[in-house]
Amino acid sequence: MDHSRRTFLGAAGAFAATGLLAGCAGFSKPASSAGADELSFTTWGSEAEEAGFRAGIAAFEKANPGATVTLNLVPYEQMFENIDAQLQSGTAPDIFRVDYGNLGVYSSQDQLLDLSSYFDASSSDAFIPAFWRAVQFDGTPFGVPHQTDTSAVLYNRAAFEAAGITSVPDTLESAWTWQEFEQVAQQLRDQLPPDRYPFAYNWQQAGVTRWLSWLFQAGGRYLEDDLKTPAIDSPEGRAALDFTKGFFEKNFVPANSSVKSSTYASDSFYSETAAMLFAGNFLLPDVDSLAEFEWGATYMPRDARGASDLGGNALVATASTEKADLAAEFLAFMVSEDQMRNFCAATTELPTLQSLVGTDIEFATRPDVMPIFVEQATTIQESDVAQLASPDMAAINTVLSDQLELAFTQGQSTEETLANISEGIAAATA
Amino acid sequence: MTTRVLTGTPDAPPAPTRRPPVRRGTRRRALSDALTGYTFLLPNLVLLGVFLFLPLVWAVQLSFQETGGFGGGEFVGLANYTRLFGDAVFWQSTLNTALFTVVTVPLSMIIGLALAVLMNSVLPARGLFRTIIVLPMVISGVATALVGVLIFDQNIGIINKLLRVVGLSAAPWQSDGAAAILSVVLVTLWIRSGFNMLIYLAGLQGVSPELYESARLDGAGPWNQFRYITLPMVGPSTFFLLIMNVIYSFQVFDIVYVMTGGGPGYSTSVLVTYAYQNGFVTRDQGYAAAIGIVLLLITLTFTAVQWRASRTRDLVE
Repeated sequence: MDHSRRTFLGAAGAFAATGLLAGCAGFSKPASSAGADELSFTTWGSEAEEAGFRAGIAAFEKANPGATVTLNLVPYEQMFENIDAQLQSGTAPDIFRVDYGNLGVYSSQDQLLDLSSYFDASSSDAFIPAFWRAVQFDGTPFGVPHQTDTSAVLYNRAAFEAAGITSVPDTLESAWTWQEFEQVAQQLRDQLPPDRYPFAYNWQQAGVTRWLSWLFQAGGRYLEDDLKTPAIDSPEGRAALDFTKGFFEKNFVPANSSVKSSTYASDSFYSETAAMLFAGNFLLPDVDSLAEFEWGATYMPRDARGASDLGGNALVATASTEKADLAAEFLAFMVSEDQMRNFCAATTELPTLQSLVGTDIEFATRPDVMPIFVEQATTIQESDVAQLASPDMAAINTVLSDQLELAFTQGQSTEETLANISEGIAAATA
Repeated sequence: MTTRVLTGTPDAPPAPTRRPPVRRGTRRRALSDALTGYTFLLPNLVLLGVFLFLPLVWAVQLSFQETGGFGGGEFVGLANYTRLFGDAVFWQSTLNTALFTVVTVPLSMIIGLALAVLMNSVLPARGLFRTIIVLPMVISGVATALVGVLIFDQNIGIINKLLRVVGLSAAPWQSDGAAAILSVVLVTLWIRSGFNMLIYLAGLQGVSPELYESARLDGAGPWNQFRYITLPMVGPSTFFLLIMNVIYSFQVFDIVYVMTGGGPGYSTSVLVTYAYQNGFVTRDQGYAAAIGIVLLLITLTFTAVQWRASRTRDLVE
């Protein structure tokens, strides 16, 4: 058979067009699953979390013959850009994982499935009230609190010994006061060489809300009870900002560890650049494998009160899911006592069920330090949660990040910083 | 005696010419050729339409709306554009973008040309050197920027470690605005010089060796050969690279986002990172679209100016 050049080009063109169209079909393929008993579930996660989710899904599929859940694991950095685009284009998954701060953004804009008909008063009572509060908007639940985490202080034992620090607080009540913490930091500063630092704080990038722990410890708040009026421009706000600005002024933290830094605090700890690390318990598997030195843990410092950050995530179903009943069933299954215990044990994360508080969960990594985090989590108050779960948190985070960066690295005064944050919060909640 | 052979005077109006009859076959062939041409263009036109022009129209539409993350926006006319005028961060980002462009475009082109001249000469293992220089261009921008983070990390980066070893104080790459911009510029030069070198190398290989030979015979030294032969002869490459580099510099995102996130403060915030911050973090897509449209207008203006300048250059050549 004779093949002319034209025939060849035509065939090549047809082949390319087929590929192109197939590619386009790929772009438009909805993340939402097609089958009646199929659910799609999008999340990010560490290796331990991925294994935990896969085990939970396998157990759900075994308990519900015929049902399948497709896990779509994405990098954290892309998670919410993807979800936003998928929600906008009607191709969102049936279920996704979301932190308590972002949840309000979605629930307040009718993007999530109303779960009030699936979870009655008794099932809601099963959760620690602060976390059940965190998944609600205007009194309606839009998700289930799957786990929580909070920060405590990890320290390099050798660095402490070299600085003559022989003991650390071993109860929540005896946690360092701000003044005691500052003395410890100064003691380390005096002993360490200039390119090593007393500590690194985990407020970089999306962790900027962790600065609020200092505000809460000072007895302050950033939103009034109406969750609209800014309350940060206060004596407590000034105390928290002055104290944290001092970290940079006194060389307590690396100069490149401000809120917009691309270097995470944990990296400074692993490289022994920082002797202490404020870290979430979810980080313990990484610390265990990457820190090549002996380390211990103690509680967050306290001022007027103890406080730490509200970490952790909820699981939610999208309002557009066509399998609402199955999705709600999956959510309920994932927060059942057995599943939550297994997940928390494997990932060193904390439970949100009342029934698991005080029980012995067999944490896979450093079970000796986990009780510190469990106890630290009790310092999170409901009023903190109400503010942190505000639907305006995305915009408030941006204001906090911009203004704290200017205060920490550009010498912006405390007064101007607080006034700007107040103005930004007012604009965000208007 | 001469014989007049002309049949008309030069001043006489030209006799009306009859249009030669167009044969149906020729017209059909022309139509068929045009159709073939458009068929070949079609895949590109479809791609450009779907992925460039359609989103562009949507972006313009979005820039006239106030958006809250999800659902339809509310038409607010020019409100997003008037907001830009009073936004200090927008102006700082514009200034940073302009500064970044002014520094990176000429430097990366000079380095690219210098490397191309070097690689065009008799250099041992030049294939290996060419590959090494082009390598940052062929790997992802984000991956290259991550390497940049490792190099310029203030505490554990390679450069500061070397500085300490030789007894110098470490540079504040991540905590001082000027040093942070310098780190981004250096990584950009590293990435982009390879591409510029490639284009210049292709241009240089089209320059006839006879030109250099005759210049040498006329007594021209290496600098004069470069100044009066190499530089003018790579003019079309320079024009192409100028447009590409200016567009690239105005649209810089990945390197800044990964290396500095726009900080410290707003020292390295550029227009695209600021648009990204508004569009995807604050979820204020209308305002982000307005920033994008302003960026488009700036880029179009630069391209138009360069296009006009290029016509003169073509005449010279």
